[in-house]
Amino acid sequence: MRRAVAPLLTLTVALVLADSAVVTLALPDILVNLHTTVGQVAWVLIAFNLVLAIVAVPTAVVFGRAQPRLLTAAGIAVFAASSAWCAWAGSIEVLVAARCLQALGGAFALIGCLELLVAVYDERRGVATWITAGVLGTAVGPVVGGLLTQAFSWQAIFVVQVPCAVLAVPAALAVHAPPERAPDRHRPALRPNLALALLSAALTAALFLLVLLLVEGWRRSPATAALTVSVVPVAALAARPLARLLRPPTEVEVASGCFLIAGGLVGLAILPSADLAWTVAPQALVGLGLGLTMDRLTSSAMQLRLPRVRHAAWTIGARHIGVVLGLAILTPVFTANLRDAQVPAQEAITSLVLDAPLQPQDKVAVAHALGDELTSQQGRIPDLHRAFATLEVEPEARPATARLERDLDGQLERAATRAFRDSFLLAAGLALLALLVAVLPRRRSTP
Amino acid sequence: MTGGSRVMLLPVFALVLVSGVLGIQLAHGGGSFAPLRPADPCAVRDVTSQVGGIDGLTERLVLLGLDGAACRLHVSREALTLELAQAGTPSDADIEALRAGLLSAVQRMKAADTLPRASDLVDEALDSTDLNSFVKAAIRALPDSVVDTALKTDDVLTRTIDDLDLRTLLANVDDEQSLTQQLDAAVTQAVKDSLTARLRDLL
Repeated sequence: MRRAVAPLLTLTVALVLADSAVVTLALPDILVNLHTTVGQVAWVLIAFNLVLAIVAVPTAVVFGRAQPRLLTAAGIAVFAASSAWCAWAGSIEVLVAARCLQALGGAFALIGCLELLVAVYDERRGVATWITAGVLGTAVGPVVGGLLTQAFSWQAIFVVQVPCAVLAVPAALAVHAPPERAPDRHRPALRPNLALALLSAALTAALFLLVLLLVEGWRRSPATAALTVSVVPVAALAARPLARLLRPPTEVEVASGCFLIAGGLVGLAILPSADLAWTVAPQALVGLGLGLTMDRLTSSAMQLRLPRVRHAAWTIGARHIGVVLGLAILTPVFTANLRDAQVPAQEAITSLVLDAPLQPQDKVAVAHALGDELTSQQGRIPDLHRAFATLEVEPEARPATARLERDLDGQLERAATRAFRDSFLLAAGLALLALLVAVLPRRRSTP
Repeated sequence: MTGGSRVMLLPVFALVLVSGVLGIQLAHGGGSFAPLRPADPCAVRDVTSQVGGIDGLTERLVLLGLDGAACRLHVSREALTLELAQAGTPSDADIEALRAGLLSAVQRMKAADTLPRASDLVDEALDSTDLNSFVKAAIRALPDSVVDTALKTDDVLTRTIDDLDLRTLLANVDDEQSLTQQLDAAVTQAVKDSLTARLRDLL
């Protein structure tokens, strides 16, 4: 058991932070399964991140007054139970409530795992393990979530967390760590925490919006989308060797990372086509930037600051309030743009149908089928395949209707890609703001 | 390597990467990946049809007529089509623009010499009418030159369009039988009126 303690606690940290974005790829399925709207389904993400951001620092205060192992074990148990509740949720309201409870348990688990990892290892290794697990969890979460959704269902995302978390409860209880009673000597590190919040908001766009674009806009399966967005964590892994090779000062590393994230987001805003290959290079920039910034900023925010858990909690709060900020700013922008994209998309579809090399009666039949589909999918990107699947045309007209279907899908992809552009550009602006925060000259203290 | 130059390595590397990626994307049309923009309805457009005969003629007339109507209403052809398809009752302005568009389409096709001669359409038209079979046989026996002299396609079409209740026609788009009945009645009346006018001119 002793050997498994640290890996289980590390896994718990990764799990809780992965939960921040793990459901991203499942959102389209949840949207359909729980009969809800894009605006409401975003709360599955917002609720978790908001609660985690709000309770992180108060949780750290509680940890200074009680046995960390008991609080950690309790937090992990609540996290496990609420994960199970998420899996059984039959409505969006219940799912959001379960996610709130999950975040509450997650906050205790996260803060507690830091204390326990420091007790198991030492200060330096414990903190480094905690930070790395968090960054990896955040980056890998959407990929794992997408694969589980495709292989089983969105509920599977929450089901698999239960045994992992249950195993971590005895692991937490096995570590004897005294409560950290260090006086509250240092103020929270404003600059790294602010940069963390802004970058988290920008990264939300990279993961949340890109996934929505792939699954809803380009009609790719969750598994394909998961594999596509796996470029981000893979590129993030390449950041550390690169930093070791070039050995830049921390500020330069963070500024370069912010610039890479901003560049990657601009790249996602100006994709030349709906070919998945075009998303790889911009995502690689985002991943590289993620790997250069998040752990450095978290370390800077915690370095030489006491009490340790309090400052770790500030980083958690900053990151998750950043995610909420990102969702709060970007969701209305892209839903409004998606609504605005309906008219040009419908006009493009009408143009292609009017000029299609089909017999007049086939054009009327296509128009009818498309009209029904477009009407039934108000507010969402329609699935034109359903319209064509029900179409009855002469065998000799089938090649032309197949070509028309491809062309119309192409127009929808164009409209969806254009609808996401402003949100990606806005997110790039957030990453540039983070860069400004990182490079602004420090105020000199007067002698 | 000096400390100063080492500091610049990562920012330069990041700048090169970002510039490279964005440059390649822009060179491949990044930023202009948007839905097809509707063409100017006032600009001349070539329209074709996959079928010949009356169906093909009707399709070309409707496509050109939509262009003409959209041009008059200062909207795109696609926006007008969607409005006509989605609106419960088309406005008077829409109906008038559509009629004017169809009439100008006839004139455009006549000017471009793309209107078929009446004799090319007689057989197909007779097939769909409920005239007595002897009358049909008699008309079919007429030489093409007689038919073309007696009936001018543009005149018949113009009279048909003038006579058509476009509001009812648009309401009947979903009902092929009612649509055919309405068109047949309008075309038959237009042929009668055209022949009467021709006879009056001769007399």
